[in-house]
Amino acid sequence: MNLIPHKKKETFRMLFKQIGGVQIILGFILFIPMIVSIIYGEYYSALGFFVSSIIILFIGYALFKFNDPVPEPLSRHALIIAALGWMSIAIMGSIPFMITAYITPPDILNQFIPSGAEYTSSLQFFKNPLHALFESMSAFTTTGLTMAVHEPSIGKGLIFYRSLAQWIGGAGFIVLSIAVFRQSSGRAAMLLYGSESSGERLQPTIIDTSRSIWKIYLGLTLFSTLFLIIGTYFILPDYSFKENIFDSINHAMTGQSTGGFSTLDDSIAGYNSKAMEMLYLFPMILGALSIPFYFKVIYEKQFNQFWKNIQTRSVLLFSIIGGIILSFLLLKSGFETEPFRKGIFQFVSALTTTGWQTADINGWDSSSVVFIVMGAMIVGGAAGATVGGIKIIRVLLILKGVQWHINGYFVSDNAVQVVEFNQKRLLPEEMNKELASAATFSFIYLLLVLISTLITYYYMGDGYTITEALFESASAQGTVGLSCGITGPSMSPVLELTYFFQMWIGRLEIIPVLVLLRTIIWGTKPKVV
Amino acid sequence: MKIIISGGGDVGVYLAKLLEQEFHDIILIDIQKEKLEFVEKNLGIATVLGDSTSYKVLKEAQVEEADLLISVTSIESTNIISTLIGKKMGAKYTIARINNMEYLIDKTTLDLRDLGIDDLISPESLAAREIKYILKSPALTETFDIDGGKLTLMGLYLDRDSPVINQTIAETSYLNPDKLFMIVALNRKGKTIIPRGNTKLYQGDHVYFISKEEGKNKVLAYAGKKPLQIKNVLVVGGSRTGKYIAHRLSKYYDIKLIEKDQEKSNFLALNLPKVQIVNGNGTDVSLLQEEGIKNYDAFVSVTGNAETNIFSCLVAKELGVKKTIAMVENIGLFDHSQKIGVDTLINKKLAAANFIFRNIQKGNVFSHLYGIDAEIMEFTVKKNSRISQKPIMELDLPENVVISGVIRKDKGYITLGDFHLKPNDRVMVFALQQSMKKVEACFK
Repeated sequence: MNLIPHKKKETFRMLFKQIGGVQIILGFILFIPMIVSIIYGEYYSALGFFVSSIIILFIGYALFKFNDPVPEPLSRHALIIAALGWMSIAIMGSIPFMITAYITPPDILNQFIPSGAEYTSSLQFFKNPLHALFESMSAFTTTGLTMAVHEPSIGKGLIFYRSLAQWIGGAGFIVLSIAVFRQSSGRAAMLLYGSESSGERLQPTIIDTSRSIWKIYLGLTLFSTLFLIIGTYFILPDYSFKENIFDSINHAMTGQSTGGFSTLDDSIAGYNSKAMEMLYLFPMILGALSIPFYFKVIYEKQFNQFWKNIQTRSVLLFSIIGGIILSFLLLKSGFETEPFRKGIFQFVSALTTTGWQTADINGWDSSSVVFIVMGAMIVGGAAGATVGGIKIIRVLLILKGVQWHINGYFVSDNAVQVVEFNQKRLLPEEMNKELASAATFSFIYLLLVLISTLITYYYMGDGYTITEALFESASAQGTVGLSCGITGPSMSPVLELTYFFQMWIGRLEIIPVLVLLRTIIWGTKPKVV
Repeated sequence: MKIIISGGGDVGVYLAKLLEQEFHDIILIDIQKEKLEFVEKNLGIATVLGDSTSYKVLKEAQVEEADLLISVTSIESTNIISTLIGKKMGAKYTIARINNMEYLIDKTTLDLRDLGIDDLISPESLAAREIKYILKSPALTETFDIDGGKLTLMGLYLDRDSPVINQTIAETSYLNPDKLFMIVALNRKGKTIIPRGNTKLYQGDHVYFISKEEGKNKVLAYAGKKPLQIKNVLVVGGSRTGKYIAHRLSKYYDIKLIEKDQEKSNFLALNLPKVQIVNGNGTDVSLLQEEGIKNYDAFVSVTGNAETNIFSCLVAKELGVKKTIAMVENIGLFDHSQKIGVDTLINKKLAAANFIFRNIQKGNVFSHLYGIDAEIMEFTVKKNSRISQKPIMELDLPENVVISGVIRKDKGYITLGDFHLKPNDRVMVFALQQSMKKVEACFK
């Protein structure tokens, strides 16, 4: 194991090389929406993707090639690479939005607007680099907050690009780069892998693990696509089949990644169908279950994982119980005419951090809003899935910790009080360690949500209350994407930037960003705190 | 019968001693010269110096002619390999002592019996089993089921409260109107007596009963013991024995286990989910009080140190625990500490040796009771046999022999003087060692 610290210059080169590798992947990925644009005859969009791709590939290749050979990353670098890598993806990923917005002539732009609609194309908002950056970050972090007010008016190519970005962002770029490049040795790969996801090793090697993850992820998405195509076909037989296929592919990608971008102007509510909303509950829950869980079911045929796996069980239970409670709160407030339809869909959408919207949350009473924030958006789905939030496993661990602590008063001081959690037994010191890390994380998480709530409260427009500020902030932090209307092209740039960083922090589970900050301020040398 | 014993530790030597009395031809193998010298001098048993995993050593011990090869060294792998090789070289029956319980429990992965080891024994699990029996009826010092419980051998001390002391056995027969049990032997001041009707019972006698299933509670009433139901057990010592005991008993009782070593406590806490593990010193009285020792029905001390075990049992008794059990591995100490005040002493080496001894004498000797010079043996009555002609009291049985129960057509019977034996009866005979040969002659 190489424990000798790198020289400063070498560290920088190593970081640049890693970032370059990620950029090359992004550059190639842009060819896919380019082809989609060509299929739909959107040649300016296609050109936009092509130019962006060339720029990104050039930068990526330069970073990758000129910084070779470099030493392998150390554990302290893995988190920095993840933080910087994701930031660079969001920045580079915004280029297609800007270029397309600038090169598409106004008359072409008008063709994107559905006939009879009264608005101008939302594509023009992306001329503002901040909006483009926001959209890109929202896409890659699987959030789903958007600057494209009326989605259909930005063109099929860009819609597809947003969905694809969410889909790839969901499984993770670092995992993808490990799978593609096989550049790093086992240890370095393990570090990188752990920096981005919960770090469960599914196969003996990390390369095989990341490939398995992508295989499962792709398989689930294909399954989801078919499910949606067939479901839509039977529920809405009059719906154009071409549109059905486009919608289903996009929604399968954004549902599996729990991103929540939609092809429709009014998200899933745009179908105006109760049955369609029920249909769309399935992809969200599919996306909120952890990849290791699927691995155990599919590869190892452990079907009992459905009730044995504490996270899967909890996601399903939480969805049902929380959905019903929210429905009753809505019923009591009297705002929604169909409280159960809205309540269950919105609760699942928030818990799974997908963010498909069917209700006008702006009009909800405070108790419903606070409940969905506390009970769903902050909790999030299963660790090891593509969800945001604190993650169910941490919430359960902390609850278990409370129980453990209270129980401690009833046994003698000398007793070795073992905790049974998630099919494992933990010794007191192990439990303390797990608890400390979960509690620290949750504390920072909540602190960030509160700070952002205050910023929102200060910068949001008129007509919003503090509960809505809390809602919007929790939505950005948890990469949920539900909005009560505060987010939009007309929002304050300060707030837009706040959410931009919040989404980044939320996707990476905070710690990598804090490590990056520490490095920027104090460097990588160990010091006493 | 030619028997080879590998391992001159306590189990091996005790076993050699037991078997030697049965006039078996015994060879002991060990790697330590001093041990062998001791055995040769004191027991007059032939020995071979060397490692029993070696072909040469086994050959020297003439394993090809052996009826039985028993490997009971403290090293498990030596025992397994020795018996495997021994079987291959011609030993007819092999027994290996093991420590890893997996081998005993999981027979799907590798069945050692298939490979040539005919029997596996684990002293720890035997000790755990013994304790389980004792706690089931805590007033008893020993209990041993014959043929799945059709008859039961029970041992207990007569104390001051007993209604039968200072009376002859005949005088107490009003306490046993249905003839559900009988006294088969008693031990008074280290001397074994096979009782007759006119034998008088005294306080402090260690009495052995044989009882039918429905008579077990009557035995307790006869001896004046109050029925005691054990609900929770405090175990001190988390070594292998402690672990097995806690694991086995946790199905029936609330168990708290005290272990001194932090690492071991952690290991136990992770592996024994139903047992509450406490990290601390089991001889520390204030710790015992803090752990609520007063509320415990039974106290089992199984640390590696016999003195510690005896001492903490005495402390527990003083603090009000009704039943105390100490593990005493030092055989010398075992002989002399029965009367100190601990309710029951166990010794896993003796347990193992007795188990093997019982196995060897299959169909013959059932149990060897430590400290008692008598054995219980089983015989089957043959057709036209002399002893099936008359009732028992009219048979001229040798002295110091008692017929103590019969299993006839899967039912147990208590055999008082008027009982008439029939062909195919399985008869339990309790006899002092010197009378053994005569008993065998009777049944021929």
